[in-house]
Amino acid sequence: MSKGPSRIAEFIKKALFLDFVKGLSITLKYNVSRSITLKYPDEEKWVPDRRFRGQHTLNKDENGRELCVACELCVKVCPTKCITVIPMEDDTGRGIADRVAKVWKVELARCMFCGYCEDACPTRAVRLGRDYELACLDLSCTTREKDELLKPQSIPDTIQGGFVVRSSFERTPEGIRVVPDLRMQKKRNI
Amino acid sequence: MPDLATLLEILIIVVKVSVISGILFSLPLPLTWIERKVAGHIQVRLGPWRVGPHGVLQPFADMVKLLIKEDIVPERADKFLFKLAPLLSMIPAFLVFVAIPFGEKFAIPFVGKEITLYLSDMNVGILYILAIGGLGIYGMILGGWASNSKYSLLGGLRSSAQMISYEVSMSFAAIGVVMLTNSLNLLEMVRSQSGSFLDWNIFYLPVGPVWFVIFIIAALAEINRIPFDLPEDEGTLAAGFHTEYSGMRFSFFMLAEYVAMVTVSVLTVIMFFGGWNPPLDISIFHLVPPIFWFLGKVILFIYFFMWLRFTLPRYRYDQLMTIGWKVLIPLSLVNILVTGLMII
Repeated sequence: MSKGPSRIAEFIKKALFLDFVKGLSITLKYNVSRSITLKYPDEEKWVPDRRFRGQHTLNKDENGRELCVACELCVKVCPTKCITVIPMEDDTGRGIADRVAKVWKVELARCMFCGYCEDACPTRAVRLGRDYELACLDLSCTTREKDELLKPQSIPDTIQGGFVVRSSFERTPEGIRVVPDLRMQKKRNI
Repeated sequence: MPDLATLLEILIIVVKVSVISGILFSLPLPLTWIERKVAGHIQVRLGPWRVGPHGVLQPFADMVKLLIKEDIVPERADKFLFKLAPLLSMIPAFLVFVAIPFGEKFAIPFVGKEITLYLSDMNVGILYILAIGGLGIYGMILGGWASNSKYSLLGGLRSSAQMISYEVSMSFAAIGVVMLTNSLNLLEMVRSQSGSFLDWNIFYLPVGPVWFVIFIIAALAEINRIPFDLPEDEGTLAAGFHTEYSGMRFSFFMLAEYVAMVTVSVLTVIMFFGGWNPPLDISIFHLVPPIFWFLGKVILFIYFFMWLRFTLPRYRYDQLMTIGWKVLIPLSLVNILVTGLMII
């Protein structure tokens, strides 16, 4: 007998399709809510935080001298042995010491972006930057040489990161690029 | 030699038939797009986006893909039946529209000639629709049988069992509406519901809503949509009866399914929601052409079916049978009794 009222309530619930109405109202709420899709290559792009570990970059000091002293610690610490450094002597003031890197090469196809190289670096010369569009059509782009890595990356260090910006999708004969428009910053959680 | 007036009548009928068939053939294009958009937004995605603005050209891309795909007929299949089945499924879906009215008379401006917005004013319209609509099942059963594949066969058999169970309660719901409106004619059904929305059959308390629920559940099962899409249950049967079909033959099944969904929406609107009558009997609502009220209601129902599809899970096979035989049929029998008492 104690089950009586609950069974009646259950029956009324079924007869009035209350569970259906509940489910349908939830899906309707989602139907009119904003989509979380990031329109990545066409209209929007994610600007990573500073801690992001993307493609390597070699830094210079404020006088424009290379910070790398070619100590080869990054080569030794690299778990996948993807960095090659050949030191040379140069006292013309190109680097902060008389020892600079003749070759500083990283094979991105083997790199696993663990960030040990930047941890090992005594002069903070090598950093893992914020460029993450590394795909290309042949193997030529998998090896990055020193002069390429010394160029500043597309997102300057002054920008905090961690938000979505508008971007434009550009097709050029060299390949495709997604150029972020860093002035407009949309606050959006992902 | 028939006179000019007869020839004109024939011409009008030919034009109407070609317009309706053209619309029905092109219906899957917007409907697939809308369905994918609804699916996307319910799942907090965007749906088709990249082909054309908001992905509106996606169905055309899909159509081109289906047209140029290889037409595979399985080696051990019953070739004749295999090729016949998609047509058997598609033609009844189209034939149903012979009896469906879209409105009353409509005067062409500047000519003064009145044309009717239906192909034939059939006095047994609802009976014809149920009978012809039920024939579409042969396409599914034969398609499943002729494919010579266990998934297809199981899908075909499931669809036949499902159709038999739910055709009964769907016909009972139709009988209920016939009792309420005193006519088998669809035009008469709509005329008897004229006035405000309180005159619609759905608000014929207390039996109207019950008939509506019975009809909509049975109709969902008839057109094989979630939550009753067991014949093409992708979780257990690959794709059910159309597992072996590809290219255009597959798209014929899809076409039949979408046309069936539109048919059921149209029938629901005619039988329960007052057809082309505006919801309130005030003059401002009568300024809008009736066909727009009709289309608006039909679109709402199409959206409702899509909304259900992305809300409910699929029923188990025994649950499907339980709902059909142990709930809907006793309920409709009782409801017939109540309707009869109310009419007296």
